[in-house]
Amino acid sequence: MIEVLGRRPALTLSVCVALFLLISVLPVNDYVLHILTLSLIFAMFASGWNLTLGILGLKTLGHHAFFAIGAYLSAIVAFYGGVSPWLTIWAGAALAALAGLLIGLPILRIRSMPHVAIVTLAFAEIVRLIFSNLKDITRGELGFWGIPPFDPVSFGETTIRFGLGNAWGSYVLAGAFFFAVQAGLLLLLRSRPGMTFAAIRDSEAAAESLGINLSTWKLAAFALSAGIVGLSGAIYAHYVMILTPTSVAGPEMLITLLAIIIVGGAGRFFGPLYGALLLTGSLELLREFGEYRMLLYGALVIGFVFAAPHGIAGLRIGRLRRRDRRGTRERSSAA
Amino acid sequence: MLRLEGIDVHYGATQVLWSVDMHVAQGEIVAIMGPNGSGKSTVLKAAMGLKAPSGGRVRLDGREMQSAPATERPRHGMAIVLERRRLFPRMSVHENIVLGAYARPARETRGSLDWVLGLLPDLRDHLDATAGKLSGGQQQMVAIARGLMARPRVLLMDEPFLGLSPAMVRTVSAIMRTINDEGVAILFNEQNAKLSFALSHRGYLLESGRVILSGSGQEMLDHPEVKRVYLGVREEAVR
Amino acid sequence: MTASLFLEMVINGLISGSIYALVGSGIALVYGTTRVLNFAHGELLMIAGYLVLFFAVTLGWNVILASVVTLALVGGIGAAIQRVTIAPLLAREDWAFRVIAATIGLSILLQSGAQIVWGEQFRTLPYFFDGVVSLGGLRMPVQRLSILVIALALMGLCALVLYRTGLGRIVRATAQDAEAALAVGIPAGLVHTSVFAISAVLAGAGAILLSPILTVNPWMGVSFLLKGFAVVILGGLGSFGGAVAAGFLLGLIEAASVTVLPTEWRDVVAFTFLIAVIWVRPNGLFAGREA
Repeated sequence: MIEVLGRRPALTLSVCVALFLLISVLPVNDYVLHILTLSLIFAMFASGWNLTLGILGLKTLGHHAFFAIGAYLSAIVAFYGGVSPWLTIWAGAALAALAGLLIGLPILRIRSMPHVAIVTLAFAEIVRLIFSNLKDITRGELGFWGIPPFDPVSFGETTIRFGLGNAWGSYVLAGAFFFAVQAGLLLLLRSRPGMTFAAIRDSEAAAESLGINLSTWKLAAFALSAGIVGLSGAIYAHYVMILTPTSVAGPEMLITLLAIIIVGGAGRFFGPLYGALLLTGSLELLREFGEYRMLLYGALVIGFVFAAPHGIAGLRIGRLRRRDRRGTRERSSAA
Repeated sequence: MLRLEGIDVHYGATQVLWSVDMHVAQGEIVAIMGPNGSGKSTVLKAAMGLKAPSGGRVRLDGREMQSAPATERPRHGMAIVLERRRLFPRMSVHENIVLGAYARPARETRGSLDWVLGLLPDLRDHLDATAGKLSGGQQQMVAIARGLMARPRVLLMDEPFLGLSPAMVRTVSAIMRTINDEGVAILFNEQNAKLSFALSHRGYLLESGRVILSGSGQEMLDHPEVKRVYLGVREEAVR
Repeated sequence: MTASLFLEMVINGLISGSIYALVGSGIALVYGTTRVLNFAHGELLMIAGYLVLFFAVTLGWNVILASVVTLALVGGIGAAIQRVTIAPLLAREDWAFRVIAATIGLSILLQSGAQIVWGEQFRTLPYFFDGVVSLGGLRMPVQRLSILVIALALMGLCALVLYRTGLGRIVRATAQDAEAALAVGIPAGLVHTSVFAISAVLAGAGAILLSPILTVNPWMGVSFLLKGFAVVILGGLGSFGGAVAAGFLLGLIEAASVTVLPTEWRDVVAFTFLIAVIWVRPNGLFAGREA
C-alpha cells in the first residue's frame, strides 16, 4: 500500500488542504481560481477513475461516460425539475454508479484487458451518442445551456455564490468536495477493503484463493469509481453551466484525463491531484496555442509512458525502489 | 561442449538459480534432477537464452553465448524441446516439424526431414494431422522431431516424460538413446531419479536453485542423499 | 419492404462491412500475433487518406499509382510505429497498459498534427470508376460496388500470405505459441514489424476505397478504430477470419438499423450489439478459430 499511498498520506493530504485554505484567503485573481477549480474537478474525476485503473488494476477507458451521465442527469433534473443542484448532483452520482454496475457486470467476468478497454470505450461512445441524439432534452451538440449553479449559501451576513463568474465560491466548493472524497478514499484504502484491492491487483488468483469474491469486489469498486466520477461531472455541470456531449464524453476528455493520470501517476493516490494541477494549470498558459494543446497532451502521454511510467507521484518512490533492488542483488552476489 | 558457468537467474526480485555450473560433453546424455521448483527448467531456459541469466556465462564449444539471443542459438547447434511439447496447435505436424529448421539454410530442410523421419518413422503417417489433436505421446514425438530439425549438437529437453504413459516413457527413452547414438548430446530434466540416472551418463542434483551433487548415473543412484530423499520416500518426492 | 429495398440494404451493409472487415482484420492480426492493441490504428487510415489525396489530386498522378505508393508508405509508417513506440515497451512491466496509453497518445498526436499540417479542410477524391450497375431495379454506382470487390480481394490476398507463404507460417507460429516460435529461431521482431505493416496496408486500403465517398479529415480514423475494435471482439480476439466475418455482420446490422431508426442511432445500435454479445458470449461469436 505504501506504493499507492506514499509514505505519509494523511500528512500529505493535510498539507494539500492547508495549501488549499491558504490560497482561499490570499487575494488570488479570479482567473487563477477558475483554473484551480477546474483542476480540482478534474482531479476528482481522475481519482475516481484511478480507483479502477491504477489501484484495482482494471484497464477501463470509458469513464468519461460516467462523467457525462453525472453531468447531464444532474443538469436535466435541476433545469427541468427545478430541483436544487445540492440534491441533483447526488442523483447524477447515483445514476453513474448504477451505469457502472450495468457495464461492469459483463466485463468483470472476463479477465482480459482488451475486452475491458474496448467495451468500456464503446459504452462511452453509446452514452455520448445518446446525449447527442436526445436533442429535445439536451439540444445535442448545440449545447445544453442555462444549467442553474449551486444555490447560494448564507452564513449570517456573508453569502457565498457559486457557478462561473463566482470564482471564490466555486473554488471553495470544488475543493471541499475534492478533499472530502480524498479523505473518504484514504480511509477506505487504509481499511480492510484497501488491503483487498491491493491483493486483487497483485494477484487475482491468490486473492481468490484467500476467499475473496473477485466479481463482487471489482463490481463494488467499479460502481464506487463510477459514482465519484459522476459526482465530479455533476459538479462540473453546475460550475460551467453549459454542456455539450462532445465536451464531456468525447475523445478530448479521454485524452485529457488519461494525460492527467499518466503524468500524475497511475495507481498513486495523489497522482490525480498532481497531474490535474500541472496539466490544467500550466497548459492553460498555452491557451493561445489552442490547436497545439492536444498535440502536447499526446506527446506528454507518450513521454511519460516511456520515461516516467509512474508519473510525478512515482518519481521518488521509483528511485528508492531501484536502489533497494540493486542493494539486494549486490548483497546476494556477495553471499 | 556446452558449459554453464556460475549461472544466476532472477525472476523479478527473487533469485531462483545460484551460481549453477554444469557441462555436457560431446555424445553425452546428462540428467538434471531435483524436486519441483528447484530450478531445473530454468537451467534449460537460461542455457537456451529464453530466460536471460543475471550472472554467469553460457559457452558452446568455448564460444560465449550471452550476446546471442534465443533465436540465434539454433544456428550454433542448440535446440530445445519445451515442457509440455508446446507445438503450434493449429498447424499440421509437417508444418510444425519444418518450422524446426527455421534457423538452418533452406536447402538442408529436405535432408533433415528425411533424417528425422528416419529416426521417428511413426510420424510419417501423421504428417497432415493437426498437431493439437494428437495424443500426448505423439505430440512429444513431434516436439522432438521439431527440435532435431535444427540439426543440434546438443538437444535440451524440458521434462520430456511429463504426463506420458509408462509405455510411452519407454518409447521416448529409446528415442533419446537413438538420437544420442547419432551423435547428439542431450541435457534433460526429470524428477524421477531412477528414470533419469538409468538413461543418462551423468547427472546433476539441483535443490533450491543450487547444484548439490553431480556424478555418473550409478554414483548418483548409490549416493545416500539421493537414496534418502528421492528413492526412500519416493511416493512423496515423485510427482 | 420491397425486394429491391432489401437488396439495397444488404449491399450497403456488405459495403460498409467490408471496410470494417479491412480495419478489424488488421487489428486482429496484430493482436493475435503480438497481444498489442494499437489505438493509433485509425490514424493509419487517416494518413493514407491524406496521402492518396496528395498523390492523386495535388500531384495529379494516376489513381492506381497513387494508391500503390500510398499503401507502401502506410505500410512503412505502420512498421515504424511498431519499431519506435511499441517494441521498446514490450519488455517492461505492465506493458499492455503502457502500450495502450502510448498509442492513445500517438493517436491524438497524429490527429492534431494532421490538423495543423492540413487544416480542417474536408476533401474528397473524384470517383475512380464511372458508371452504374442495375440489379433488378436497383441502381448502384460501380464505385461503391468496387469497394466490396477490392476489399474482398485484398483480404483474400492477405489470407493467402498467411496460409501459403513462409512469412505467413512464422506469423501463425508466433501467434500460436510465441515462446516456442522463439525457441526454433523465429525472430519475433521481424514477425511483429511485418504484421504491423500488413495491418497498416489493410487500413490504408480502406481509406483509399473510402476517399471518393467520404471526406478525408484529421478525425476520420476515430470512428473506424472503434468499429474495428468492436469487430475484433465480436470475431473472437485475434482471429483474422472471425474479424472478417464480424465486420460484414456489423455492416449488415447497421444497414438494417438505418431502415427502422434515424441514421444518428446507427452507431448506438452497433455498440449496443457489441455489449449484448459480450454479455452472452464473452469470447466472441466465432470463438476458437484463431489464425
